Amino acid sequence: MTNRTADILIVGAGAFGLSCAWWMAKRRDGSRILVVDEGEFAGGASGRNGAGFRMQWGLELNIRLCQESIKFFESAARELDYPPGIALKQDGYLVLAHSEKALKTLEAAVRTQHRFGVPSEVLDAKECIKLVPPLGRERLRGGSFCALDGSASPFLWLDALLRACRRQGVDVVYGIRARSIEPVETRYRVQLDDGPVDVAKILICTDWAAPELLAPLGIDVRTEPLPKEILVTSPAPPAVKPILVSLEHKIAVNQVDRGSVIFTVSRARSGTTTRSTGDFLSFAAPKIVDLVPGLAHVPVLRAWGGVSSVTPDMQPIIGETEREGLFVAVSSYRGFMTSPAVGRIMAAMVLDGDTNDPIASALHPRRFAAGEMIIEPLLNQE
Amino acid sequence: MARSIIVVGAGPAGLAAAMQAEGQGARVTLVDEGQRPGGQIYRQGPPALGREDIAGAAELRRKHKLLEAFERARVRIDYRPNTSAFALFGPRDIHVASGDQTQVLSADGVILASGVREVAVPFPGWTTPGVMYAGGAQSLIKSQRTLPGRNVVVAGCGPLPIVVAAQILRAGGKIAAFAPLHSLTAGVGNLTGLWHGRGVVLEGLRYLATVMKSGVARLTGFVPIRARGIDRLESVVLARLDAAGAVEKGSEREIACDALVINYGFAANSELAALAGARMRHEELIGGWLPEVDDFGRTSVEGVFVAGDMAGLRGALVAETEGCLVGAAAAASPEIFAKRSFEQSWHKELTHRRRLCEFQKVVRAMLDRPRALWAIADDDTMICRCENVNLGHLRFAFSAGHLAPNTIKRSTRAAMGWCGGRTCLPMIAALAELHAKASPFAMMTPRPLARPVPLSALANQTKG
Ligand SMILES: Cc1cc2nc3c(=O)[nH]c(=O)nc-3n(C[C@@H](O)[C@@H](O)[C@H](O)COP(=O)(O)OP(=O)(O)OC[C@H]3O[C@@H](n4cnc5c(N)ncnc54)[C@H](O)[C@@H]3O)c2cc1C
Ligand SMILES: Cc1cc2nc3c(=O)[nH]c(=O)nc-3n(C[C@H](O)[C@H](O)[C@H](O)COP(=O)(O)OP(=O)(O)OC[C@H]3O[C@@H](n4cnc5c(N)ncnc54)[C@H](O)[C@@H]3O)c2cc1C
Repeated sequence: MTNRTADILIVGAGAFGLSCAWWMAKRRDGSRILVVDEGEFAGGASGRNGAGFRMQWGLELNIRLCQESIKFFESAARELDYPPGIALKQDGYLVLAHSEKALKTLEAAVRTQHRFGVPSEVLDAKECIKLVPPLGRERLRGGSFCALDGSASPFLWLDALLRACRRQGVDVVYGIRARSIEPVETRYRVQLDDGPVDVAKILICTDWAAPELLAPLGIDVRTEPLPKEILVTSPAPPAVKPILVSLEHKIAVNQVDRGSVIFTVSRARSGTTTRSTGDFLSFAAPKIVDLVPGLAHVPVLRAWGGVSSVTPDMQPIIGETEREGLFVAVSSYRGFMTSPAVGRIMAAMVLDGDTNDPIASALHPRRFAAGEMIIEPLLNQE
Repeated sequence: MARSIIVVGAGPAGLAAAMQAEGQGARVTLVDEGQRPGGQIYRQGPPALGREDIAGAAELRRKHKLLEAFERARVRIDYRPNTSAFALFGPRDIHVASGDQTQVLSADGVILASGVREVAVPFPGWTTPGVMYAGGAQSLIKSQRTLPGRNVVVAGCGPLPIVVAAQILRAGGKIAAFAPLHSLTAGVGNLTGLWHGRGVVLEGLRYLATVMKSGVARLTGFVPIRARGIDRLESVVLARLDAAGAVEKGSEREIACDALVINYGFAANSELAALAGARMRHEELIGGWLPEVDDFGRTSVEGVFVAGDMAGLRGALVAETEGCLVGAAAAASPEIFAKRSFEQSWHKELTHRRRLCEFQKVVRAMLDRPRALWAIADDDTMICRCENVNLGHLRFAFSAGHLAPNTIKRSTRAAMGWCGGRTCLPMIAALAELHAKASPFAMMTPRPLARPVPLSALANQTKG
């Protein structure tokens, strides 16, 4: 048994948990912050994703969330005092349409984006291929492109956050699970693997697993696990500068600085396993070759799996639950790219009770019970 | 109906297993990524070069006997050279690649006999061209008939440095210095072991005699601490280490040479077993992460068997005997296997293998790798060549508490490159233990692919 003490407990040390912890610790308001994670460093979806960020969305909410986050990524090395940097790459994102309908959706989204200062543009098929020569021409109608979108290393992002948190006195421990939460008067007693801890406030950042801790308290958080598999090639000569997303193929392609190409290939599955499967390779390879025939010769080095969350409207859930002092932040996929802004918003909410942030008020946990759904036109794709 | 068996690896273990299973009526497919059968020890050069002659006479006899038997059995075995197994999720889900094609195979049983590779120990300059591992030198001699260099330093521990030194001499090469880490009589106290291995011991003594008679400079207890040269190796500094790994003052000797051949022992090619979910155990000196197996090579996964060195260094003799046992078990129906008479009918081979294993204890004593060895590397020493990670990067990771293979991998990218960590993981394990007291070292989560395969080949999947 370890005697742990803290004022605020964050459960989950993924991009959400660590970013929230950093933004809280930055205040130096004397709160003692403890972060526990049952797994290893970067063991959750935050260490298994496609590493892409983009501000090309169809809703103000998502555009703003990502604009703010991308700005933070740009200065992360300095803000977090992390000299190696986070392998930031801003060569743009090219969202591809293989049907007229998809192209129409992109055009509408670009009009919205322009209202919020996103420097995006609509490209025809020829321009897409000029930008990314290995692309297949068949059925390609066009795409939308924004040069500020890109990727960073999720590992370096998490390592930078972890070290910055610890420097500011946050206690981050791995290999410790939060088993249950029990309200005790105005505080909470949380059973950890190595003993109980009594805290004033709790922030649940366990993504798809959030209901495990909250359902026993009668709190209904509507999220489900979304398992995905992903593969990476050996370094190849630069061929795909922007990150590609194909709405039809449900594939995201990211050639990172080293030259390796990361392919996130979605298919309908359920469950929480991160194990690799044999049929994934058979499923993914033909789709990839159809999308980017020019990369067919590149050797695949590794495949892996990750599980993220998905909510009924595919938007994050962030906010205070019906129990005072008990907060939750669920990514609903895309949580790498939203983690900087979510950290800031949650810190303000947890420390100051500030729920007036327009983003926070839209994404509150009780919206589904109230029948609210936020519809992002560009979702349901990669 | 006949049982179907897939064997991965055509070394002595895989060949024996395939022939045994076929002899029992199984339909056998044998895949090996090499061009010709034989595996590591019985490697064959291109046919045009004719038979090799640098191995000992007894070894050559065993080699030719096994390969000739395989030639006869080959018409009844679906033997596929130049074919690599790159993923395994059980006997019904085996992924193989050859050229620009892949196939998913399914069988009643799969026998993994993929052998061992060498363990690298990093020191400043170890990636200089001209520094190589014993297997590299042996394949130059055996399959290309060329020498590793004109003037060679041979170093390391275990029996292999003796063997390679003798083979270089027999092939007409010159040895600048021979630096065995342990006294050449290490392990000699184990008389039972020696007796059981007498056949191999005699061969070993002949190799040793070749080295001794040649009059090469012998530097017992010395290890390479630096390799010099930019595009090409020019010299090696050898020195003795104290227990903490510090260089003993005044012991350094710089020796001019154009090749350094090293062996510091072996790591098992056990990735496929781990990927299939077999229960693994760690035993550093005989191969690191090894699948747990019973006497008949059965792993914890139904239908997945292991034979030969992949289950832990056993040597070629055990590998072949074990191949027979495992081939027999895999080809037997579960009902036959369960009968006591099955085990009884293999009593002789089981005893034989047990005795040979006694001899392996002798070899193990010679293979001891003192922790001090890992202290030679400095912060600039390369650890993961594929991803350009040096010891300084690793130590930066250790400083944040990233001490397990998964977290070291995530925070440094070590083990994420072309070789999938086959070279750097054993080094990282030892370095994490030395620098950060990380022990025991956990296993890295196994992931496909065990070998790189082009996207086009993955997309071009034929029915198996
Ligand atoms: C450099 C070196 C030198 C050695 N020298 C000796 C010695 O002198 N005496 C001794 O007793 N032992 C020696 N050994 C140990 C050992 O190799 C032998 O004991 C023996 O070869 C083991 O036989 P095996 O059948 O288990 O494996 P191997 O002979 O190693 O055969 C394994 C086969 O599997 C194939 N393979 C591996 N992975 C795959 C894959 N994914 N897909 C398809 N094919 C695959 C390889 O191509 C290889 O042909 C040496 C080992 C090494 C590495
Ligand atoms: C294949 C794949 C590709 C993706 N690509 C992208 C992309 O390109 N861009 C993007 O923005 N997003 C992407 N995502 C989504 C993104 O990775 C996730 O949305 C994000 O990482 C979620 O972060 P998190 O911190 O909420 O969750 P996680 O990183 O999963 O962290 C949750 C942590 O909680 C811990 N935990 C759970 N339960 C407990 C408990 N009871 N006690 C203690 N600890 C607990 C877990 O161990 C885990 O470490 C992708 C996801 C996947 C799977």
